Amino acid sequence: MPLRRLRLLPTHAIERDTVTVLLPDRQPLQVQRVRDPRARRIKLSVDERGARLTLPLGASLVSGERFLHQHRTWLATQLAHYGGNADLPTLVRGETASLPLRGVELSLHWHQARFTLIWLDQDGVHIQLPARATDATLRRALREFYEGQARADIGAWMPRYLPGLPRAPARVRLKVMSSQWGSLSPDGSLALDLSLVLGQPRAFEYVLVHELCHLLQANHSPAFWHEVEARFPAWREQRGYFNAHGRRLKAGLRALLTPAGD
Amino acid sequence: MFFRNLTLFRFPASLDFNALDDQLSQLPLKPVGALEVSSRGFVSPFGRAGVADPEDAQDVALSHRIGDSIWITVGGEDRLLPSAVVNDLLGKKLAEIERREGRKPGGRTRKRIKEDLVHELLPRAFVRPSRTDALLDLEHGFIAVDSSSRKSAESVVSELRGAMGSFPAMPLNAEVAPRSILTGWIAGEPLPEGLALGEECELRDAMDGGAVVKCQNQELQGEEIGKHLESGKQVTRLALTLDDHLSFVLGEDLVIRKLKFLDGAIDQLENTDNQDLRAELDARFALMSGEVRRLFAVLEPALKLSKSDA
Repeated sequence: MPLRRLRLLPTHAIERDTVTVLLPDRQPLQVQRVRDPRARRIKLSVDERGARLTLPLGASLVSGERFLHQHRTWLATQLAHYGGNADLPTLVRGETASLPLRGVELSLHWHQARFTLIWLDQDGVHIQLPARATDATLRRALREFYEGQARADIGAWMPRYLPGLPRAPARVRLKVMSSQWGSLSPDGSLALDLSLVLGQPRAFEYVLVHELCHLLQANHSPAFWHEVEARFPAWREQRGYFNAHGRRLKAGLRALLTPAGD
Repeated sequence: MFFRNLTLFRFPASLDFNALDDQLSQLPLKPVGALEVSSRGFVSPFGRAGVADPEDAQDVALSHRIGDSIWITVGGEDRLLPSAVVNDLLGKKLAEIERREGRKPGGRTRKRIKEDLVHELLPRAFVRPSRTDALLDLEHGFIAVDSSSRKSAESVVSELRGAMGSFPAMPLNAEVAPRSILTGWIAGEPLPEGLALGEECELRDAMDGGAVVKCQNQELQGEEIGKHLESGKQVTRLALTLDDHLSFVLGEDLVIRKLKFLDGAIDQLENTDNQDLRAELDARFALMSGEVRRLFAVLEPALKLSKSDA
């Protein structure tokens, strides 16, 4: 193959490594460095998982490190703002005493039995596990429990909003999304973030309505917001809720579903 | 004609289907054109038995209704043009051009030649006919498509939506984790009335890419299965029977596979005295729609299936 062709071949894989930066207080900090073919510019971001430096394909490592060094003060401020993961929910077998669901903390009861099952009643959430069940089994079952609860909410709300829509969504999937709350693909498949079920139900309902309105308007034009307004007048309030608590919700779900030690 | 798989969707039971025949007749199956890859449309559920005079297919009913059950069929014609055949001929043509002109043809030329080849080959390609049946239950508000493929089931719903203008059908929404319900059933939890365990199941480890155990002709409440449950595996597919009338495999995706009508149901059919094929199909549909409705009525509360009505 000619050399010219080789040079033109794009690298599509996302590459990850870490880079160390010294903060203004001389403390070293590990920053995740990601080379993303979709990135258009150098970006430094901070969330509950830590700091992340994103580089587009054309940016050199040196320019990335320079950018990081220039913004180390901002980085320290943001990290202080997130304040670590101290108040995130945890899931430790037999120890955790409460679980978040629909904006409240429910008491959690542990049982030993022949098979894995999680259910909800007036006393709270019950988890039964066989003695040999692994941590992965527990977290998988918890994910399915949350998914069932989310589907129950969706099942209750959806029929109210279907009239007036050109069609129903082809399917509804619940996923753990990193930044979005929901999406609607061109084939009508609706995806919602599973962490919505941890937050207040009105916020969850708003995201559902928002995505359903994309069946009418596949954009965020004034016409789209008009459709949202007509169905869910308090949508601004719920956006405020996500701005204030959204990251915590996502981080909380991630903490509950990620096996210990990962 | 008995359905062998059921992919279910729910729609509001308040939907009006009185004009369905007229709506379906707007989208009948047309023979696939010489330069078309595929064609879809509604055909008589009775197949050839539904056409009194094959020369005159104008007055054929494209749905068949018994009480609150409607049977529709989406027919299809697909031209079979394997990409390997096209690519082989394309390779030969390109080699010929390269030999003649002393240079490799560019991408644009290649694309044009490929399009010309497809146009040349399509009229000569075999046409594969297909049909997918569906049962609409107006009492419970569900449509059961005889397919285990979500894609082809969705295409039937989409055809129906095209014919009716609006058809707000949603895939089944279980308000509990189906895995945990199926696991509970083989672990000794009481089954819904009428259901009994079969002898086939699939168990999966909680980890993605973890162990998968598939059993056939296996006693499901024995010690061997118990060991798997104790290690944390969960049931993802389970064979069940309904009152010795139906046997099926229920998956965690809520698709019913390997649906079979057992002697308990078929016996009722043999007692009927039907002479012609159409009457036979009519009797079979009446039997099937009743059994599928009964099955749905059992599964709906057990899996907490959401309704589509506000």
